[in-house]
Amino acid sequence: MKQYAIVGASAAGLSCAKTLRTLDPDCEITLFTDEPFLPYSRPIISYYLKDKVQADQIYLQPSDFYTKHRIRVRTNTRVAAVQTGTLTTEGGETLKFDKILLATGSVPFVPPMENVGAQENVFTFLTMREAERLKAYAKPNMHAVIIGAGLIGLKAAEGLRPLVESVTVVELADKVLPSILDDEAAKTVRAHLDANGVETLLGDTVVRAEGEKTITAVTLKSGKTLPCDLLVLAVGVRPNTVLAERAGAEVNRGITVNRDTMETTVPGVFAAGDCVRSYDILDGQEKIIALWPNAVREGMTAAYNMAGQEHKDTGSFAVNAIDFFGLRICTCGLIRAEGATVLTREGEGFCKRLLVKDNRLVGFVLLNASERAGIYTALIQNKVDLNTLSGDLLDEPGLMLFSREVRTEKLTGGVRV
Amino acid sequence: MKKVIAREALCLDCKLCEVFCRTAHSKSKDVVRAHLYEDPAPVARITVEGDILDSVAVNCRHCDDPACVNACITGAMHKDPETGIVSCDESRCIGCMTCLAVCPVGCIKPGRTAVKCDLCQETGEPACVKNCPNRALVYVEVGGDAQ
Amino acid sequence: MQYMVPEFEVERNTSRCISCGACVRQCSYEVHYFDVDGKTVLADESKCVACHRCATICPTHAIKIKAYDMAYKPHANWTPVVQQEILKQAQTGGVLLSGMSNNKPYPIYWDRILLNASQVTNPSIDPLREPMEIRTYLGRKPKKLEFHKNGKLKTKLEPQIKLETPIMFSAMSFGSISFNAQKSLAMAARKLGTLFNTGEGGMHPGLREYSDCAVVQVASGRFGVYKDYLENCRFIEIKIGQGAKPGIGGHLPGEKVTVEVSNARMIPEGSDAISPAPHHDIYSIEDLRQLIWSLKEATQYKKPVAVKIAAVHNCSAIVSGVARAGADIVVMDGFRGGTGAAPTRIRDNVGIPIELALAAADQRLRDESIRGTVSLVAAGSFRNSADIVKAIALGADAVYVASAPLIAMGCHMCQQCQTGKCNWGIATQRPELVKRLNPEIMHERVVNLITAWNHEIKEMLGGMGLNSIDSLRGNRMMLRGIGLSDRELSILGIAHAGE
Repeated sequence: MKQYAIVGASAAGLSCAKTLRTLDPDCEITLFTDEPFLPYSRPIISYYLKDKVQADQIYLQPSDFYTKHRIRVRTNTRVAAVQTGTLTTEGGETLKFDKILLATGSVPFVPPMENVGAQENVFTFLTMREAERLKAYAKPNMHAVIIGAGLIGLKAAEGLRPLVESVTVVELADKVLPSILDDEAAKTVRAHLDANGVETLLGDTVVRAEGEKTITAVTLKSGKTLPCDLLVLAVGVRPNTVLAERAGAEVNRGITVNRDTMETTVPGVFAAGDCVRSYDILDGQEKIIALWPNAVREGMTAAYNMAGQEHKDTGSFAVNAIDFFGLRICTCGLIRAEGATVLTREGEGFCKRLLVKDNRLVGFVLLNASERAGIYTALIQNKVDLNTLSGDLLDEPGLMLFSREVRTEKLTGGVRV
Repeated sequence: MKKVIAREALCLDCKLCEVFCRTAHSKSKDVVRAHLYEDPAPVARITVEGDILDSVAVNCRHCDDPACVNACITGAMHKDPETGIVSCDESRCIGCMTCLAVCPVGCIKPGRTAVKCDLCQETGEPACVKNCPNRALVYVEVGGDAQ
Repeated sequence: MQYMVPEFEVERNTSRCISCGACVRQCSYEVHYFDVDGKTVLADESKCVACHRCATICPTHAIKIKAYDMAYKPHANWTPVVQQEILKQAQTGGVLLSGMSNNKPYPIYWDRILLNASQVTNPSIDPLREPMEIRTYLGRKPKKLEFHKNGKLKTKLEPQIKLETPIMFSAMSFGSISFNAQKSLAMAARKLGTLFNTGEGGMHPGLREYSDCAVVQVASGRFGVYKDYLENCRFIEIKIGQGAKPGIGGHLPGEKVTVEVSNARMIPEGSDAISPAPHHDIYSIEDLRQLIWSLKEATQYKKPVAVKIAAVHNCSAIVSGVARAGADIVVMDGFRGGTGAAPTRIRDNVGIPIELALAAADQRLRDESIRGTVSLVAAGSFRNSADIVKAIALGADAVYVASAPLIAMGCHMCQQCQTGKCNWGIATQRPELVKRLNPEIMHERVVNLITAWNHEIKEMLGGMGLNSIDSLRGNRMMLRGIGLSDRELSILGIAHAGE
């Protein structure tokens, strides 16, 4: 009977466990998490913050799922080391395994700042524990400062907004959501945040905090001082590669994996999710693509290969859907590419920007226009020659873009009726 | 598993599939009430694309390896291992619409939550198929990975 | 200014309309449309033809089509219809055209004829318990049968057509009706063990697989006639006339001659398909004889040849001539027969009822002792199985039906076939309309209809104490007239009820 160990119980870890079970009904699967929870959705914590979901609604699977599928979940257990065929927990337990998956995700990146550290009102926003702490701490008269206007920072801002007096987001880049939005779209989003009471300060960052036990104010690089009762660090994340390094695997910012199998440079040790360097099929680069669907797919690929079944990973690309105060943002692929043209359509309350290069769609940004966005995503993923399509690409996309044969194939999967 | 297959050559662009899908997924199950009085208004999980000359009804393909399920950040979107039906547990969906961004046929509708075809599990026969006046929609066994 | 007032009114129950727009998208006459709000559905009633497509497809039954309630100063002679027709011609300067069939209230003799039933003696038969034969053979019958000593038949039989029901589908060309409509009939014919008729438009390649249940027509335009066509059928029908428009040819306008129609008819795409009023090579019974025998020769005497004529004043003499010219089957089409397009005045005023024509022709052939040399097929509006039973008792071997199966497929008798905009996908070549008629569904409906009629025919036969349709054929003792004059009774060859 095969023994599989999985370190990390989020998207990649859980998907790997589920897939392993379908591939091998007899194997032993042990899932390690250093958190006290069964696998839950990390992106959901901002919804918990704004009371859209309750604490018992964060879980990815009902608790009986794990008994039913014989997946041993070891909560509150941090894996300290991985050697050949054996892992050791911080508590000193050891477990022998045939194959192991490192799905250790990422850790918050904290830039050097003066006097920011152990104060009680400094938070990160990656885990449920932090969200709980933040929710308990926030009071209506407080001024919140968030460092970083990325997905995590802005989600924290949205979640915090109803709980506190003011929310200010400080971002070093010159736009909000710099990793997923182009300049134009970022302006729209920023205006929307502003209209909903979230102030954003761009091209600036916190350099120093006041207060010993509790931060009371922060000073910015520009010299400005902001009152601060609550500081959220959301500058960014870094792949959590500690275990991989200890196992002797190659790490270059993220864990290096075989792009087809997700195996690290150490045989039998696999890695998936935010902690690895994924292969972006759109620009051919290897980079950290810290996104959910990516992690799930990589976890699955890893499972197949751990179980010894041939399965080639299809490669990654960025796709994102998120909303802030009712503004739906949907993006995919590249934000910019050399020699690309941008097709734009704007109207009352919506905006569409499609990036086209060499007659292929390579990216899009949709604001309040995400209807059937998956069709665009598929065009990007499959690198479809736009000359084979008919109709205006900027209209709401649909299967009518394709020829009748292609459309029928997509709908029937070749079934003749 | 059994799936709804659209026969494009027979689609009339009448959109009765949409009407009866909305009705089947309404509170009252009454075609008039569902469309005129219910709040929130029920959403059709099938869409007729195209025009009077060329049209086809598109709904969920209940894919073997569903992108929407893989993309779901809450576990609300799931594929039933027994029936193969991909459905969205609307009580768990937070409406992030990542599923919608990855569905290759564009069949998921945005709303308070993601809304999609559940093959009318309650009644056993999809309302769109039952009410298609021209048998452009058929409900047939197509194989696939459902047990 | 439009002098004509609308014929119909669209009543929309706004408390039930859900603005789904099905009516808007389904009306080829563009009656329904959305208001600028994109929600309120309005109607331009002047365009409505009362085909009821909208009312039928409306998921909430919110639409009702009503007669336009315009009061005219009463005048028994200058009725609103008469005035409307004048206004139309005053506007267009053209011949009035209509589809379907004579809609004037001439006597319908079927409704003045009553069937017999057995009581006590010659008891009635229950078709559910005992065999009941409605199988019908068409074709020339020998004067007498001779047998070899071993019991085998000595007499050489002319080719015979075996039908499992005395009901066949009449000629409707591809062009006048859609391919899907033709295919539905072909599929139904095969299931029912009967025949459909290609009409004069040649045979669409898609129907070749149904040649075992096809009748192919040779008409004055000779469209699509070639060796292969003649050989891929059960019998060949020479069309001389049509009940809806005796003495008139046909004209399929160029815009209806699509690629497919042009292929089937073997004429250039977009050219007018003109069927001359006469066959230009037939000026006498002798000429007709030549064509009949040419067709037989061309098909190695394997295919019976039928001749179809319209029921006109001296048709019994014509039928006699046709029989003598060598036809195996004579088809008579009464003045209530349908058409894809006919001048209204012709449709409504020319020809005679099939009941009278059939009775007269059957009698004449008997009187001349040649009844057995031909099969008589009656056409021209059979509305139900009772009409058919009465026709057979008047002397028909079989009947042709067309309007009834079209109604089964959705036709609502709006009589606008000539416009080519048939919302039911029947009398149209527009692809978006043709696809509305799914042969898979429609052939089932036609099969249902004829199966029901077959059952009813058996019931009626059983009631009369007959167990075979052959025993009914020409058996006028089973018929009685009601409310008919002596003259009418004598033409029909039946006694009055009570006699």
